[in-house]
Amino acid sequence: MPDNTTQNRGTKGISISELAVTFQSEDSEPVEALRPTSLEFEAGEFIALVGPSGCGKSTLLNVLAGFIKPSAGQALVGGETITKPDIDHGMVFQDYALFPWLNVIDNVAFGLERQGMGLAERHAKARDYLDMVGLKDFADKRVTELSGGMKQRVAIARVFATDPSIILMDEPFGALDALTRRFLQHQLLEIWQRNRKTVVFVTHSVQEAVYLASRVIVMTARPGRVKLDQKIDLPHPRDFSGEEFRRLEKLIYDQLDEELAKSFKLEGGGGTFHD
Amino acid sequence: MKTSVKTAASVLPYLWAAIFIVFVWQMVVVFTQAHVALLPPPLLAAKTFAELVVNGQLFVHAGASLGRVVSAWLLSAAIAIPLGLAMGRWRRFEHLVDPVIELFRPISPLAWIPLAILWFGIGETGKIFIIFIATFFPILLNTVSGVKGVDPVLIRAGQVLGCDNDRALFRKVILPAAMPTIVVGLRISFGTGWAAIIAAELVAAQVGLGYLIADGMEVLRSDLVLVGMVAIGILGVLIDAVFRTVNDRFSWGT
Repeated sequence: MPDNTTQNRGTKGISISELAVTFQSEDSEPVEALRPTSLEFEAGEFIALVGPSGCGKSTLLNVLAGFIKPSAGQALVGGETITKPDIDHGMVFQDYALFPWLNVIDNVAFGLERQGMGLAERHAKARDYLDMVGLKDFADKRVTELSGGMKQRVAIARVFATDPSIILMDEPFGALDALTRRFLQHQLLEIWQRNRKTVVFVTHSVQEAVYLASRVIVMTARPGRVKLDQKIDLPHPRDFSGEEFRRLEKLIYDQLDEELAKSFKLEGGGGTFHD
Repeated sequence: MKTSVKTAASVLPYLWAAIFIVFVWQMVVVFTQAHVALLPPPLLAAKTFAELVVNGQLFVHAGASLGRVVSAWLLSAAIAIPLGLAMGRWRRFEHLVDPVIELFRPISPLAWIPLAILWFGIGETGKIFIIFIATFFPILLNTVSGVKGVDPVLIRAGQVLGCDNDRALFRKVILPAAMPTIVVGLRISFGTGWAAIIAAELVAAQVGLGYLIADGMEVLRSDLVLVGMVAIGILGVLIDAVFRTVNDRFSWGT
């Protein structure tokens, strides 16, 4: 493996204190998306955020990315308040967000160019990161020629290439089929083990959360707050069918089921959840 | 080799269309026994066409018309694209400008011909003015919708990848993302400009394809009129073909 991919500036912790988000729209009542929440993520932790739809996990991620301003409290990365999007806070989106007018390698090199790197240097580095996700031979392809899984690998190469202090991932594998998903989970873990970045990973899949994360945070139904904060100490690679794995999975599911039942009731649906 | 086959395949339908038109034309001439000053047979028109090509007159007229359209179209693009980018990006600005645009847009460029003549006489300026109006709105509206249609997630991706100011975001994300739609606007507007120049030249010109047609009518030479019309058709198709090639380059296969 080329060494370009291993030299990095390191990573930072995230400190969230009394962070709350309320959406204020002109013609309707304000919507409380996130109740005052406090969390400490240590540098190099892999955090998975799970919760029912609309529980504010994406809202929290968008605050960390600098897209949304909190209504109260604050979020700090490495001791500095997040005020706006920053190349130091990388993000992977569910629908890849590759630039279709650029080919694969220029997508990966986009952030490097913004960091002021010259063409030859950034292409060399981008190639290394494409190699890391196994797409070296696709460097000159158009992104529209790639499958969904390949696109997300390009997006992962793109975010790691800029060497950010934290990486935010918003349901990155949500749109992929089960097999591709497994493959990418495995690949992401390998990359993370080599570049220990703080990762905040939003997902709907409990199995995915337990498989990947060093810590799983379960959020309540809207308005969101932390329901469960569970460390996962299992060694990698984790076995889906292992006893401890399944115990943790069940623990998290039980917590989630309570919240799901609540959120269905909130939506005014008849009947009970366990019917 | 492969490309020449492809080109031949794309030209073929036009060839059939041309043969069909000439056939119908000839039939009309045969069955109505039309006077030659009203509807000459295709062969006579072809002869006149060849004459005008040989003595270079056709190129002078076509060149004059093309030159006017190109310069007015470029002027339009230079104003409409920046304006459209701003309108697409800043809603408040759009709310301010849009009503003005909407009031002017339904007025045909041809309705401006009388004023253009009054204001600018029958020189070049008047015609450039007409074509400017004809080409302006398609470019503007496409640019606005191109910018508005940029996927917000691409803007966010640009922001987290180091486009930390509006200028960088514009240059690296919004403009390239809106480009295919803008190019479509440029193509459409060249077509509307090409249609309008003939009308502008019909009224007031000493040279140009529109003039060729108007002059042919005055001297009762309908073969000249037809040659002018044929030239307009052929050039229109050729120009559109060029634009389509450019379009394909900008439409990243989506």
